[in-house]
Amino acid sequence: MSTYKSSDAFNGAKLHQWFDNTLVYILLVLVAVITVFPFLWVFFTSFKGVNDPIFSVPPQLLPSSPTVDNYLRVFTQLPMLSFYFNSLVVTLTVVVVNTLFGALAAYPLAKMKFRGRDAIFYTLLATYVVPPVLTSIPSFVLAVNVFHFYDKLASVIFPYLSGVLTIFLLRQAFAAIPDDLINAARIDGANELQIWWSILLPTIRPSLATVAIITFVDQWNNFFWPSLMLHTRANMTLQVGLVALQGAFANDARGIAAGVVMTVVPMIIFFALLQKQFIAGLTGAVKG
Amino acid sequence: MNKIRSFSLTPYLFLMPALIIIIVFLLYPIGAVVYYSFTDYSITTPPVWVGIENYQKLLNDPIFWKALQNSFVYLLVTPALIFISILMAIVVNRKLPGITLFRTLFFIPVISGSIAVGIAWRMMLDTNGIINSILMTIGMIKDPIQWLAEPAYTLGIAMLLTTWMGMGYYMMIFLAGLQNIPEELYEAAELDGCNAWQKHWVVSIPGLRPQITFVTVISSLAALQVFNEIYILTGGLGGILNSGVTVVFYLWRQAFRLNHAGMASAIAMVLLVITLLFSIINIRAMESGTEADA
Repeated sequence: MSTYKSSDAFNGAKLHQWFDNTLVYILLVLVAVITVFPFLWVFFTSFKGVNDPIFSVPPQLLPSSPTVDNYLRVFTQLPMLSFYFNSLVVTLTVVVVNTLFGALAAYPLAKMKFRGRDAIFYTLLATYVVPPVLTSIPSFVLAVNVFHFYDKLASVIFPYLSGVLTIFLLRQAFAAIPDDLINAARIDGANELQIWWSILLPTIRPSLATVAIITFVDQWNNFFWPSLMLHTRANMTLQVGLVALQGAFANDARGIAAGVVMTVVPMIIFFALLQKQFIAGLTGAVKG
Repeated sequence: MNKIRSFSLTPYLFLMPALIIIIVFLLYPIGAVVYYSFTDYSITTPPVWVGIENYQKLLNDPIFWKALQNSFVYLLVTPALIFISILMAIVVNRKLPGITLFRTLFFIPVISGSIAVGIAWRMMLDTNGIINSILMTIGMIKDPIQWLAEPAYTLGIAMLLTTWMGMGYYMMIFLAGLQNIPEELYEAAELDGCNAWQKHWVVSIPGLRPQITFVTVISSLAALQVFNEIYILTGGLGGILNSGVTVVFYLWRQAFRLNHAGMASAIAMVLLVITLLFSIINIRAMESGTEADA
């Protein structure tokens, strides 16, 4: 193409292309402003001092003399470090155990013949359409009367240690592995647990990553159930703590902004580091 | 070999950890909630059987009807999301410098969590917030609007928030769909004299059919379950005159604010029936879709 630089037709096409691209970039920037602006605004607000107005006509976006006072205020009035620690403990425990239990359960469902397999599979499938909020009432009763873990971190960990979506996604991954691979290992004398651990798990690593990322985002951002369970501030996760902060700082927009930034930043950093895996993982569950 | 063994404990041992959790925290609660829905129950005292009384009360409860209506209105986020996300996917589906950065920026609201994002929106929409400030600066309004105190706006604002949070996610799904459509189809459409937009109408939209069905299913089921957006935007109150009360929000209020666990369980059963109907309709639509393709 570039050999015909002087031809009018090419210049016309090039101009057209340039025009198209400019239009696309204008659209892209417009959408980016819509998706990113709230974050930028909260970010700048969180560094505003008392002399920088939250509300003015015309609006003032940037702080005139940035200060970290708002963050210090949040840290002194609320146990932010506990929030982080609790969120981390809950999220990591659930990600590891949920993936492990799911991978264990998915193997026989995909690759073994046994009594009750279809019954178990279809029961799990049927529960998938049940709205999660439906189970919150009996789960609340269980937490208070039976397990006595109300207001303890255990209450927001145990219910999530296994999930139907994880089992389904991993079952699909196991099903794609050829039977011959498993049979060959059996002939070599490997037991089922060895086969599962050293042959099957490495082959389904991408699916394990997908499941781990879905669970990670779900748990980190989980609010409904934790808000029912956790009431002592020191026991709260970040999301529940942020709502407590919002109540405690009712007339302090700068402080709330600092809390929002502190809640969102870990996830955005994590996302920035693992963008490809995040997007592939969260949208990859679709293909089933 | 495995087949010789007539009975083996192995598969059950593999299944056991997951099944214990699922039985205790999913299957038992599903059964229990059916029973609770026929009882007068305040969690602190044992449930008392009252037959269908909770359901009768619901039928005569104007707030419940309002909640049902709001939840159905909320379903309008589904067509909005499909329309916006397909447009976004078409725009980002090209090789341009920096396009990955834009895709990433569009995805940020998806992972940020509805609580933090909801609080950010709430602050922006405050009477003394940046939205009023911008609108007054450009002269669109003279006095600040009380966005969050106006019943007519409550549900619409929550729906906007849901759409804003979801569009990057659905865009990625449609983008993956677009990238599976063979280039030749677009070339053929071009030969038939289609312009840029017509090409998308005759090639992209039919090609995205599986993704459209999928997004319809998951976004409408998510819309029926909306809670966090309403909770944050209305400060846990459901909006003036219950303007933002949805079925799930009303369930939460009955169970965990008013201590009416029996009544809340009846609402949960209604929600379950609506969800099942939706799933059946959606699956039917999916089946007829694939038949038409074959």
